[in-house]
Amino acid sequence: MDRRKLRELSFFLSPMLLMVFLFYLIPLVMTVYISMTRMRNWNVERYLTDFVGLYNYHRLFYMFQHDPTFKAVIMTTIIFVGITLIINVFGGLALALATFFIDEKSASFYRLLWLLPRMSPIAVYSLVWYYFFHGSEIGTLNSFLMHLGLISQPIPWGQIVPWGAWSVIIFVNGLVGVSFGMVVFTSALNQIPKELVIAARVDGASSWQISRRILIPMMRWHLLYVLTWQFLSLLTTYPHLFLLVEWDLVNRDYGTTLALYVFNTAFGRGEQDQGLAAAAAVILSVIGIIGGFVTLKVLKFERMMKKPRGDF
Amino acid sequence: MRDVETRPKKYGWIVILALLLASLPLITAFSLLILSSFSTHMVTDLSPGSLHPTLENWINLFHGKIATTGGIRVNIWRIALNTLIVALGVSGVVTGISALAGYSLSRIDFKGRKSMMVLLLLLHAFPGVALIVGVYLLYRLTFPVNTTFVGLYSFVYVILARAALEIPMSTWLMKGFFDTIPWEFEWSGIIDGASRITVWRKIMLPLIKPGILAVALFSFLAGWQDIIYVRTFLIDPTLATFIEANIEAEYSHMPLIAAAGTFYLLPTIIFFVTAQQILLQGYSGGIKG
Amino acid sequence: MVRITLENITKKFGDFTALRDINLEIEDKEFMALLGPSGSGKSTLLYTIAGIYRPTRGRIYFDGRDVTNVPPKDRNVGLVFQNWALYPHMTVFENIAFPLELRKAPKDEIERKVREVAEMLRIEHLLDRHPWQLSGGQQQRVAIARALIKEPDVLLLDEPLSNLDALLRLEVRAELKRLQKELGITAVYVTHDQAEALAMADRIAVIRDGVILQVGTPDEVYYKPRCRFVGGFLGNPPMNFVEAEVEDGNLIVYGNRIPVPAHYRGIIEKLGVKEVLLGFRPHDAEIVRGRGEGLVGTVYSFEPLGREQIVTVSINGAMVKVFAPEGEHFSFGEEVTIKLHEDRVVLFDRKTEKALEFLSG
Repeated sequence: MDRRKLRELSFFLSPMLLMVFLFYLIPLVMTVYISMTRMRNWNVERYLTDFVGLYNYHRLFYMFQHDPTFKAVIMTTIIFVGITLIINVFGGLALALATFFIDEKSASFYRLLWLLPRMSPIAVYSLVWYYFFHGSEIGTLNSFLMHLGLISQPIPWGQIVPWGAWSVIIFVNGLVGVSFGMVVFTSALNQIPKELVIAARVDGASSWQISRRILIPMMRWHLLYVLTWQFLSLLTTYPHLFLLVEWDLVNRDYGTTLALYVFNTAFGRGEQDQGLAAAAAVILSVIGIIGGFVTLKVLKFERMMKKPRGDF
Repeated sequence: MRDVETRPKKYGWIVILALLLASLPLITAFSLLILSSFSTHMVTDLSPGSLHPTLENWINLFHGKIATTGGIRVNIWRIALNTLIVALGVSGVVTGISALAGYSLSRIDFKGRKSMMVLLLLLHAFPGVALIVGVYLLYRLTFPVNTTFVGLYSFVYVILARAALEIPMSTWLMKGFFDTIPWEFEWSGIIDGASRITVWRKIMLPLIKPGILAVALFSFLAGWQDIIYVRTFLIDPTLATFIEANIEAEYSHMPLIAAAGTFYLLPTIIFFVTAQQILLQGYSGGIKG
Repeated sequence: MVRITLENITKKFGDFTALRDINLEIEDKEFMALLGPSGSGKSTLLYTIAGIYRPTRGRIYFDGRDVTNVPPKDRNVGLVFQNWALYPHMTVFENIAFPLELRKAPKDEIERKVREVAEMLRIEHLLDRHPWQLSGGQQQRVAIARALIKEPDVLLLDEPLSNLDALLRLEVRAELKRLQKELGITAVYVTHDQAEALAMADRIAVIRDGVILQVGTPDEVYYKPRCRFVGGFLGNPPMNFVEAEVEDGNLIVYGNRIPVPAHYRGIIEKLGVKEVLLGFRPHDAEIVRGRGEGLVGTVYSFEPLGREQIVTVSINGAMVKVFAPEGEHFSFGEEVTIKLHEDRVVLFDRKTEKALEFLSG
C-alpha cells in the first residue's frame, strides 16, 4: 500500500481504532486480569498484583452447584432470555403485520408509540413501571384489579418468586425489545412488491392468509436476523433491569440475570467482589463471542459486503 | 400499505382494536405518570379522587425544592444541563468518528477491510457489562491527581466511554449510508484532483446529511437516556441519577419525582414529534436491502 | 490535445475479465467512439483511460508518456458521466468551479474561466441555480462545462446523451460534435447507440465482451464490417443475413441462384469456401414485383414509414427486410424478387463469421 493511501486510511480509521483499543481491547484484557485477582471493593492498590489464577472460576463453579442465589440467577437468565426472545420476535412480527394492514396515520401512531420504551430515558421508563407494578394500593395494576373486585388486597407482584418477578422483568424488557423486531420487519415488508399483495387480495385472500402464505415466507432472513441479534442482546442487557431490582420492585435473586449479576457484584451496594464479577463477565463474553460468530455465519453476512470500486 | 386494495375490507377495525388493547398498558402507564406530575397526589392508583390538578410540582421542581421540610435545594437546571452535556458529547463523538470510519469502509479497498467489518459486528454484540469492569479500572488508574480537573475528567470519560458503546453500530450505519451514493460523485472529485479527504469533506458529507442526522439523533438519545454510565463514572448528577436517588422520598413528594421524570422525558417526546421520519428510517438503515 | 495509445490492455475484476488484450490508437484531436452492447467493457475501457481503473496488464501512453501508473488527477482528463454527477448541494457556478478550486486557483481567475465556459455552453444565466432546478439538457451542459474548465487534454464521455429525451438527443449530438471540433480536444465517447456513433465519430471502435472487433471510420464499419457482429450491430434496421452455398461461381440462396459479386470472385476462388453468409442492408436492394433474376420470395408484411416503407420478405422461410418507395402497394403473400446492389454485398465465412476479405489477408 503506498504512502498516500496509508495516510488517508489513518485519517479515517484512527479515531475509531483508538476508541476500540481504549474502550474494548484494554478493558477486556483488564477484566480478564481482574478475574484472576481477588479484587474487592475496588481496592485497586491492594489487589492489583494479587494474582490467583482460576480461583474465581472455581468459586463460580461451586456457586453454580450449591449457592441458591446464584442458581436463581442462572435460572432467571435462562427463563428471561428464552421467553422474552419469543415475545420480541413474534410481538415484533405481529406489530409489523398489524401496522402493515391499517391506514398510514394509525400505523405511524402505533409504530412511534411502541418505539417509546426503547427511546425513553431508562430512569423514566423504570419509574413508569415502578408505579404500575407497585406492591401497594398506589400501584396501577393493583388498583385496577381491586376496583374490578378481582383481588381484595394489593399484591407485591415483583416479589412473588419466581414467576412474579420473572413476569415483571419479561414484560418490562419485552416492550423494549419488541420495537427492534417491529422496525426490522416493517422495513422488510416495505420491500416486498405491492403487486404481490394486491394480486392476492384480488383473489380474495384474507390478511391472515396473505401474511402466512406470502409475507412471512419472504422475510426468512429478517426473522433469522431478529432472532439472533435479540438473543445476543437479551443475554447481555442489564440497564433496564437495574433500577427495577435496586428499587426493590422485583425480588433480587429472581429479577437478576447474569449480566446484572456481574454489574451488581462489581458495583453494587455492600460487599463488592470485582474478581468474582469479572470471572462471570468473562464467561458471559465467551458465550457472547461464540454467539456472535454463529450469528454471522448463519446470516451470511459475507454476502452483504460489496467491494469498493476503483483503483485510485 | 396505502392502497385501498391491500387493506382488509371488513376487519380493519379489528386490527386497530387489537393494537389498541395491546398498547393499553403502555399508554396507561406513561399517561398516568405525566398526569401525576400535574396533581398533588399520584394518580397511578386510578382513583379519580387523587387527581387534584396543580402546578406546584413543576414550580417546586424548577425552584429546586425537593423536600418540603429542610432547606435542601437542588438546581434542576444544572442537573438537566449535565445530562445535556453528556448527550451532546456522545452525539458529537459518535457522529464524527463513525462518519470518518464509515466512509473508509465503504469507499476504500484495503487489506483487512472485511475483518474490520466483522470485528465491528462482533463488538456490537459483545456484552457491555464485561467491558465496564475494565473501563472502570482504567478510569481509576488514569484518575487525575489534581482535584481541580476531576470534574472535567469524569465528564470527558463518561462521554467517551458511552460513545464507544455506540460506535460499532453507528459506523456500520454510516457505511450503509455511504454505500447508497453513486460512485460517479466520488470519481468526479478524484478526476478533478481532490484527495480522498477532500472528497469526503466537500462532496460525500453534504450528500449524506440524512444519515448524519439519524446517527446524531440516535447517539444523542443514547447519551440522554443513559443511567449506568453516568452513575458509575460521572461525579456530577444527571436527571437519571437524580430520579434514581430520590425514589426513596416520602410519598407526599412522589408527584414531584413524576414531574422530574416527565421533564426528563421531554426531549424524547420532542424528537418523536418532529423527527418521526428520521427515527423510522434511521433504525432500519443498515439492514439488508 | 494528445494522442492516446492503449497497449495490450487487460482488466480483470477477480475472476471476471472485462477487457482482453486491447490495442487502440486514438489520434490527436480525434473523436473516437467506443461502441458496443451493454456489458461489452466499453465503460471499463473509458475509466481505465481516465485512471479510475488500473489495467491488470498493459500500458497506456498519452503522447508517448507512460501514464499507466499516473493517478487520475495528474492525467488532465475531463470526464462527463452518464448521470452527470452534479453536486446537488452546490450551485451551478460552484459545480463548474470545483476543479479549479481544488487546484487553488485565484478567485478572479476562477470567476473569469467559469463565465467563459458557461457562455460557450450557453448556461451563463443558470450560474446561481442548483442542479435540481435545471432540465436534463441544462444539467448535461453543466457537466460538460465542469469537465472542460480545467482545459483537459482528453475529454471522456460515458453515454452522456442516454438520459435525454429523443428529440433533445439529436440536438445535443450536433452541438457536441461541433464543440469538439472547435476546441480541438481529443475525445473518447462511449455509447451503445450505433446511430449516435455513426453521426458523431471520426472513427468507431466496436467492442464486444472485452475485445475490440473493428476500428474504422463510420463508412468503413458500416460498409465493410469485418465480422457478422459488426455488420449486424451497425445500421437500423440491421443488416440482413442469409445462408448461401457456393457452386460454380454462383451463390445458391434458399433455392435461388445469383452470381457471386464481382469483388468476391477472386477471394472465393483463392479461399475455396463453400458455405457463406450473405449480408446486405435493407437500403442496398430493390423489390421488383413477380418472379425474376434475384432472390425470389413472398411478401410477409410491410411497415409504412412516411417517405418509404420497410417490406419484410420471406425467402422460403428466411426473413429479410428491404426498403421500398412509399408509393408501391404490396399485398400479403405476393410474389416478389429482391435485386441486390452487388457492390454493397458482404460475404462472411459461415463458421468463423468473419468477412471473407479479412480471412485471406
